[in-house]
Amino acid sequence: MRRSRSTRNAPHPPPESGEALRLVEVRKVYGDEGTRVTALAGVSLSLPHGTFTAVMGPSGSGKSTLLHCAAGLEEPDAGRVFVDGHELGGRSETALTRFRRAHIGFVFQQFNLLPTLTVTQNTTLPLKLAGRPIDHAAARAVLERVGLGQRLDHLPGQLSGGERQRVAIARALVTRPGVVLADEPTGALDSHSAREVLELLQETVRGYGRTVVMVTHDPVAAAYADVVVFLADGQLAGRMASPTARAVAERLTHLGDAAQQGIGG
Amino acid sequence: MFMLAVRSLRRRVAAFTATFLAAFLGAVLVMAFGSLSDTGAAEGVAETDRQTLSTMSTVVGGWSLVLVAFAVTSTLTLSVRQRATEMALLKCVGATPAQLRRMVLGEALLLALAGALVAIPAGALTGRALLALLKSTDQVADGVPFAYGPVALGAGIGVTVLGAAGAAFLTARRVARMRAVAALGSAADAGTGGGRLGKGRIILSALFLAGGVQLGVMAATAGPEGFDSMQFAGSADILFGIGLAGLAPMLVRGASAALARPVRRFGGASGYLAVLNLRQRTAQLAAALTPVILFVGIGVGTLWMQAIQNDTSAGAVPTTQEDAIETLNFVVTGMIVLFTCIMLINTLVAATTYRRREFGQQRLAGATRRQVLGMVVLEGAVLTVAGLVCGTIAALPTVLPFSYAKTDDWLPDPEYGIWLGTVAVAVTVTMAALVGTARRTLRTPAVEAVSVAS
Repeated sequence: MRRSRSTRNAPHPPPESGEALRLVEVRKVYGDEGTRVTALAGVSLSLPHGTFTAVMGPSGSGKSTLLHCAAGLEEPDAGRVFVDGHELGGRSETALTRFRRAHIGFVFQQFNLLPTLTVTQNTTLPLKLAGRPIDHAAARAVLERVGLGQRLDHLPGQLSGGERQRVAIARALVTRPGVVLADEPTGALDSHSAREVLELLQETVRGYGRTVVMVTHDPVAAAYADVVVFLADGQLAGRMASPTARAVAERLTHLGDAAQQGIGG
Repeated sequence: MFMLAVRSLRRRVAAFTATFLAAFLGAVLVMAFGSLSDTGAAEGVAETDRQTLSTMSTVVGGWSLVLVAFAVTSTLTLSVRQRATEMALLKCVGATPAQLRRMVLGEALLLALAGALVAIPAGALTGRALLALLKSTDQVADGVPFAYGPVALGAGIGVTVLGAAGAAFLTARRVARMRAVAALGSAADAGTGGGRLGKGRIILSALFLAGGVQLGVMAATAGPEGFDSMQFAGSADILFGIGLAGLAPMLVRGASAALARPVRRFGGASGYLAVLNLRQRTAQLAAALTPVILFVGIGVGTLWMQAIQNDTSAGAVPTTQEDAIETLNFVVTGMIVLFTCIMLINTLVAATTYRRREFGQQRLAGATRRQVLGMVVLEGAVLTVAGLVCGTIAALPTVLPFSYAKTDDWLPDPEYGIWLGTVAVAVTVTMAALVGTARRTLRTPAVEAVSVAS
């Protein structure tokens, strides 16, 4: 059985074409003896470049953990994670941050914009932190693309929830990452703002050629994706191409029942 | 609302430690000096001893009283401001302004009272040690028994509790006045902005500054003989320092305007973040600047004054009284400086721990731990420079008039050793507290740090 530990000192393999994100037998367990909760029980997943995937499942199915492990925000207990063909395992916190900054864009449910920075400053912050030259014209273009051309000098506190999330998306795109990970990006938004954000995510795939992985519990949001991956009890529980909101909702209901029966039995 | 205050205290032990510590240490200081009055008032104490004890108690104790009230006020203000989110939430679920005021007031009173009660034995020990010192330097007859009574307890408990109540009242008024939606909005911004000085605060600061100058003038005109000029001059830096500290938000703005360019130029991404914070989080940084000013001002002022005193009596054999006064000066300064030093650590640790979420957000945006630490260090550097400049200015109302009184010359010999020593301690303490706390805070994984809780 191959585990990440064994490859700690191996050189990172060259980028493999076609694959934006690959998870191999990823396990993550929380808590100590007695209060042990298995969030991911050996998940393997491979997502090609230029796709939009939604990850769905009942609460506690391990959706967010999956995303955090894929982004290097949490370290899996076992298994391997590849982003853009580079393995994440065995890197220091600083090395992970640098890698994340270059290859991964992350969008959070609670936005996580810095309150003291304007829209433009928030967007260009990852570049600034990476010491990369800031292309102000490009940043402005991204912000105009997300519909915030008139709000460049506003502070996050002066924006609506939908606008804040669009800033967060612009920030995630500005470094031209291979993969954009979104954790319940519409969870804190009204349906109108949610639709705008989802269309924007769709456009990052179609227009910019990025790969988007979105965790959501909303079937309507999942229907914007190309493929929906279902998760239950920390394991993959199916896959649906060309999803519709109705089909997703139906599958989800059965998943919830199955999970409950699993606990009961 | 009182119940809410008690629950809130029990749930947030860490958050209130700073206020408790300020109340406790302040009460110890005041009680120790207060006990000298009690000792002097006891029956059978000779008139001269009574005089010495009460002078010591009222003059030195009086000013430390002001200092303590100020310290308790500024710590409490910090802790309430840091809970803007909680206040906003309470407002949104229907708490009236009056209820919020009562909650803040209740918490403050509980903390102050607890701090003062715990301080009673410690104050007695310190007071006993002070009396022993006075006896060993022959200022007070050996036979005088130590007394710990109404003045020590009354002043100690009174100052701490009243100081806390006053501070709570002023802070709570500001919180309560805010509209619920605005409160939540600004809470989401985690206490940005602020630092606009109210008219009352400017007037109060001006009064303290004027008081400092007034004491300086009295010191200058008190003449070279005796210890009058020393008594006046010794308190001038405390008052002037408090006055400057009151204007801290203004000073932070000035310092960041002056230092933004070099910090930004040489600090890289960390410098960029540091400058933005200095501009937008004025109120928080001002709270941290206050103890630096007081520490440097009182430290440099008193030590330099003693150096002048030693110079003027050089050649002549110092009288026992001069020796005694010198020892006493060092001990008293030591206590007050130690107090401001602990307040400095206290404030910086409280303010930095609170930034957990902000640090987490920066790391999620791609900042490495080192970059966040770099930002904290640069902010600290700007604060320290501002504190050193203002602290040195605060020392002048002590040093210049005293020099004039003793030598007829306003400008004393420069004492680089004293200045550098004080500066070295201030820089070391500030940086150690900041970096140590930031490091510990950064140990929380970024994803956890930004989750709203706690």
